[in-house]
Amino acid sequence: MSSSKVAIKVSNLSKRYMIGKQKDSSLRGTLSSLFKAGNSSSDEFWALKDLNFEINKGDVIGIIGKNGAGKSTLLKILSQITAPTTGRIEINGRVASLLEVGTGFHPELTGRENIYLNGTILGMTRKEVKAKFDEIVEFSGIEKFIDTPVKRYSSGMYVRLAFAVAAHLEPEILVIDEVLAVGDADFQKKCLGKMQDVANEGRTVIFVSHNMSAVKSLCLKGIVIKNGTLAYSGSVESALTYYNQASCNPNLFFNTSDFTKRSRGMHDIYIKSVEIDKTVYSVNSSISFAIVLDQTTDFVGKLNLAVFIYDSLNNVVYQLSTLLLGVEVGYNIERSYKFSCNELRLSGGVYKIGVWLEGNGLEQDYVDEDLYFEVDSSSIYPNKSAKIVSIVQREFDFQIVS
Amino acid sequence: MPKLIIDANKRRIIPDFKELFRYKDLFLTLSWRDFRVRYAQTTIGLLWAVLQPVVTLLILSLVFGKFVGVKTEVPHLLFTVAGMSIWTYFSYVMTNSGNSIIASQEMVKKIYFPRLIIPLSKAVVGFIDFGVALFILITLMIYFQVAPSSNIWAAPLFLFTGIIAALGVGIWLSALSVRYRDFQHVVPFLVQIGLYITPIAYPAEFATKQLPEWAANIYFLNPMAGVVQGFRWSLFGGTPPGQLMWVSVIMIGVIFITGLLYFNKVEKNMADYV
Repeated sequence: MSSSKVAIKVSNLSKRYMIGKQKDSSLRGTLSSLFKAGNSSSDEFWALKDLNFEINKGDVIGIIGKNGAGKSTLLKILSQITAPTTGRIEINGRVASLLEVGTGFHPELTGRENIYLNGTILGMTRKEVKAKFDEIVEFSGIEKFIDTPVKRYSSGMYVRLAFAVAAHLEPEILVIDEVLAVGDADFQKKCLGKMQDVANEGRTVIFVSHNMSAVKSLCLKGIVIKNGTLAYSGSVESALTYYNQASCNPNLFFNTSDFTKRSRGMHDIYIKSVEIDKTVYSVNSSISFAIVLDQTTDFVGKLNLAVFIYDSLNNVVYQLSTLLLGVEVGYNIERSYKFSCNELRLSGGVYKIGVWLEGNGLEQDYVDEDLYFEVDSSSIYPNKSAKIVSIVQREFDFQIVS
Repeated sequence: MPKLIIDANKRRIIPDFKELFRYKDLFLTLSWRDFRVRYAQTTIGLLWAVLQPVVTLLILSLVFGKFVGVKTEVPHLLFTVAGMSIWTYFSYVMTNSGNSIIASQEMVKKIYFPRLIIPLSKAVVGFIDFGVALFILITLMIYFQVAPSSNIWAAPLFLFTGIIAALGVGIWLSALSVRYRDFQHVVPFLVQIGLYITPIAYPAEFATKQLPEWAANIYFLNPMAGVVQGFRWSLFGGTPPGQLMWVSVIMIGVIFITGLLYFNKVEKNMADYV
């Protein structure tokens, strides 16, 4: 392949982090390690291991993977924020990375001043910012407040202005992290639209998101990263299928006794595992949540359990809870519990599950990381092309009355 | 089309000055931001920039001029403000650039640009302090009817040396404090003792003649010792700074260059540590 078609070429890329005691950023740590022979006690963690891939010019590529798979590390290396431990990357073209909107915004400065500040931080010259200034202000839709310090802005205005600056970068390669996780639904649509424009102009876009439907609608190619290695690379549909299958098998979404990392709760008893039957549901399928508990001390008493289902904007869509039912639940070692729901009735998208546990009136545990399921956006109705637009799709009837 | 190669095996030892120059607009914007926000939301604003040096000046002059009775060729108040003008610049820039990377950690973790821009950009906002002190200096010169000496041509040179000294120390501290937060506590301490071990409120000879020769050499290892002495000589004349001043100047060069090299060495992984 001729190299002029390649936008990014990654070879043997690895990144190692030192974890545990020896990472030690204190002066004493370094001084004392000078007198110790061999730092054998240091723990290594390879966030990325031997990654090889190529991205062609004009590709719009989605990077998919679970939390902690190494996606963010990869983005950080591609955007030069941190250096790789081994390997080599060749990048042809100017890169702009958006790992966050509004980097460097200063609350005391006005909107106008922050446009210049943020623009130059993102790598534009003052001249370039000046040339685009009116466009940026118009896109943000906050002309009236442009000379007000941004600390007086609502968070929505703040994000709109920040994104407006970022949207007017003109790099050949755009690297985007989950910036879409901010703002309201309207704003997210606007962001997606702008990214679509960038992609349509034939520029290279690298996009990381948990929002599978956004990845699906925006990207043509997909890369799946698993435990720091490249698990799959191909078209976005096959990458998503691969990812879903990989996380379907086994059906446990979550199984760990590592409750110590969770900040909420007493942890006298804790959630040992949560299981659902599959990862992709259709709008009208039933769903069940099987929960297994364990204890750290001998626990006697009553407990309450709840399952929360969050949409991509972190709204609770459903709540399934023993409190609502008013049932008394006792605890037994390794006893398992199950909530079930006849019909999901949710529109297409990714939903997060949160499981909450209370024992003897005290909060014991709460888990919501890495617990996702997806609802297939294809319609269950006879007219397949009509889209479900609401979050919840009720069952309904229709009659012509007279 | 620009081509960028990131290679884990090739590390540059010398900072990429070409790239640094490409980011000159960021340098300007960051400097200007510091100017804009320095006195934001304070009621008396710029008056703080005047009040602080005036009070320090009066105290120093009271202690050293009246209590200790230090003899100087020009009025003690004038003598002290000359030294203080360049010292306040140094201490402000050193403190702020020393803290700068930690203070901008959100930026460092989210976006790439040559990190050196951050400590360097602090050199500009320090001119507020220098300007104010210079204003007091000129007012006092008119009041005491002291004309500038014929050595005044050397003043910009000493000012420049002072800037390099402040940046050199600041760059070292900013890089060190990313790895070792201990250095955040070193900075206020340095400023405090620096005010006394630098010949600000007394002539350098006052200190050196009471010290054995080896100790006098050590005294001038303080980079600001030579700068303050030289700057004052360029204003008022008198005995020209001796050979010991070169100890300070060489020290500044060493600190600045090693600072750049050390910063460059740790720059790549700063985002992992802050």
